[in-house]
Amino acid sequence: MALGGSSAVHIQSSTISPALPAPRTPTSITIHPVALFSILDHYLRRNDEQPRVIGTLLGSRSPDNTQIHVRSSFAVLHSENEEQVAVDMEYHRTMYELHSRVTPKETIVGWYSTGSNLNTYSALIQNFYSQETAPHQAIHVALNTGAEEGEEAGVQAYVSSPVGVFPKPENCIFVPVPVRLQFQEAERSGLDLLTQTALSPNSTTAQPVTSIANLDATLNTVSQMIDRVLAYVRQVLAGEVEGDKALGRYLMDTLGVAAIGEKGGEDKAFNASLQDTLMISYLANLVRAQAEVSARLALVTS
Amino acid sequence: MAATSMAAALAASLPAAPVAPTPAAPTYEAIPPSMSKVIDIEAEIPLQVVQLDGLVVTKILKHSKESSATVHGLLLGLDLDGTLEVSNSFALPHHVSDEDEKSAKSSARYQASMLRSLREVQADDSVVGFYQATSLGAFFNQNLVEIQAIHQEKLRHGGVVIVHDLSSTARGNASFRAFRLTPSFLDAYKKSNFSTSSLVNHRLTFSSILEEIPLQIRTNPLLGSFLESLTKSTPSLLPDTTPETARTSVLPPSFSSLDLGTTGLTRNLEQIIEAVDNYRTEEGNLAYLSRQIARERARADMYVAKRKEENAMRVAQDLPPLPEEDVARLFKIPAEPSRLESMLLLGQIDAYGKSLESTASSGLIKMYGVRSI
Repeated sequence: MALGGSSAVHIQSSTISPALPAPRTPTSITIHPVALFSILDHYLRRNDEQPRVIGTLLGSRSPDNTQIHVRSSFAVLHSENEEQVAVDMEYHRTMYELHSRVTPKETIVGWYSTGSNLNTYSALIQNFYSQETAPHQAIHVALNTGAEEGEEAGVQAYVSSPVGVFPKPENCIFVPVPVRLQFQEAERSGLDLLTQTALSPNSTTAQPVTSIANLDATLNTVSQMIDRVLAYVRQVLAGEVEGDKALGRYLMDTLGVAAIGEKGGEDKAFNASLQDTLMISYLANLVRAQAEVSARLALVTS
Repeated sequence: MAATSMAAALAASLPAAPVAPTPAAPTYEAIPPSMSKVIDIEAEIPLQVVQLDGLVVTKILKHSKESSATVHGLLLGLDLDGTLEVSNSFALPHHVSDEDEKSAKSSARYQASMLRSLREVQADDSVVGFYQATSLGAFFNQNLVEIQAIHQEKLRHGGVVIVHDLSSTARGNASFRAFRLTPSFLDAYKKSNFSTSSLVNHRLTFSSILEEIPLQIRTNPLLGSFLESLTKSTPSLLPDTTPETARTSVLPPSFSSLDLGTTGLTRNLEQIIEAVDNYRTEEGNLAYLSRQIARERARADMYVAKRKEENAMRVAQDLPPLPEEDVARLFKIPAEPSRLESMLLLGQIDAYGKSLESTASSGLIKMYGVRSI
């Protein structure tokens, strides 16, 4: 940069001068449930006097760096009081090394803390993690456990940007970023299992559930939903409740879809499919019987 | 073999024997009477039930979904009054090559340092078993048996193995089951004797290799309330909405078990054919070996009989009898082959059959259900 040039040149060169193009700011963040659940578990196991816990988030970035997918997290030791905050960096490095042996694709993307108050210490920790994730920006996920009075459980994600004429590590602005829960469709049933468990008395459910029992439960839920709709429709017809026009249209749409596949013609297909299924069921039983007999015969031969 | 190296690694990392009760520390804290019944230093209270924490459920799900091969991990937790509470888990690195000694050692180091790290953040750090992910319910294999056999000797209460079925989870029914080896199988395994007579003595078939322990899933209250706030639905803020988007929720209800598709059925059938083929090959080997044994034995018997006849003749002619030589030295009769592999294969076939049957039966119900609409 030429010193003593005209001001126009000076301005232009200063805007270009950062040699590296700054990586783009993440605009959306997705979180895998396991990361959240680990945070909750860590929070449960904290020391009594610890107001909040922090830890490292691992995940992946999209190629253009606008999306971050948080895939797992681990706890990091830290202590904070009025005078200072300390993060056990060595512990953090060890854990990251251990994790990367199993899941080499996951890199450090940021850090989490519980509770939703952002303070000077948050900025300091953020500064530390920014060094870890350089050249990318570190993200911060604040998970409110909802365990404290008057607070609602929820998740918030932030990226930071420096503030002030001379950026100092303890000053920064946390900019909120939209955050979504994301998981693979196949993992869905595991989460369903957990939500069912959470609703049941004692918070426990017995395993394994057969697929028939599972189907039964789902059909019951559907049947209950139909009952609810039916009760509502009857109430509207009897004039007890005023009908909601939007709701009526929704019902019409849904029932219209259901009625399409009606009337004969498929009997043939149905029967063919029935034969197939019965055949498979028969085959499965045959195979099992054979296996059992074979196992018994192995014992007899001596 | 990967199996052996991993087993060796486990053996190296596990604490030696059930941790001996630390000899009388002089300061006693009074044990409250309500707890005195459940104090169980010698692991005498038998395990009734395994309780799996919600965190572990998601961890296993994620791990087994990410990697295509069968995955393993260790389960951490503690037992209290007959309930084995599994409160945490971590994945074990996948063995790519069979770098035997070296990888076994590094795997042991990995486990040790992971356990140490977890202890520092006050997570449970005692190994209580391991988990394995399979598909279509066929979890019988040498690897599993081998690791569990080591665990059962070294761990308090013998440890458990939790089997997670991927294909069933994909169909909308997350399935976890807990097992351990039966005493009779363990006995035969220790003697590493799976000849026919040993099988008969121990009354072993594939169904008596493992015994199932009841399994419960548990969510702690914090997790429960968090999940509830995730599933809570709120009216959408958008003015024009379709029925699907009128209410939004982070975790909308799903009805994936009502899916009519029969995906995986063909794969299941293929798996059965493959397993049956394997079994046939194994059976062929066994038959070949036993024929060989029979042939050798017949030859030895013939030799002995001939010698006896000759001697009888010589005695009749008042000649000194020829010495009866050591038959075992002349004829090498091969040892009877192990039937473990064929037994495990049968177990696999059975499991495939079972999962095929359950798919078919629920498919039948769905078909009639659709028809009646």
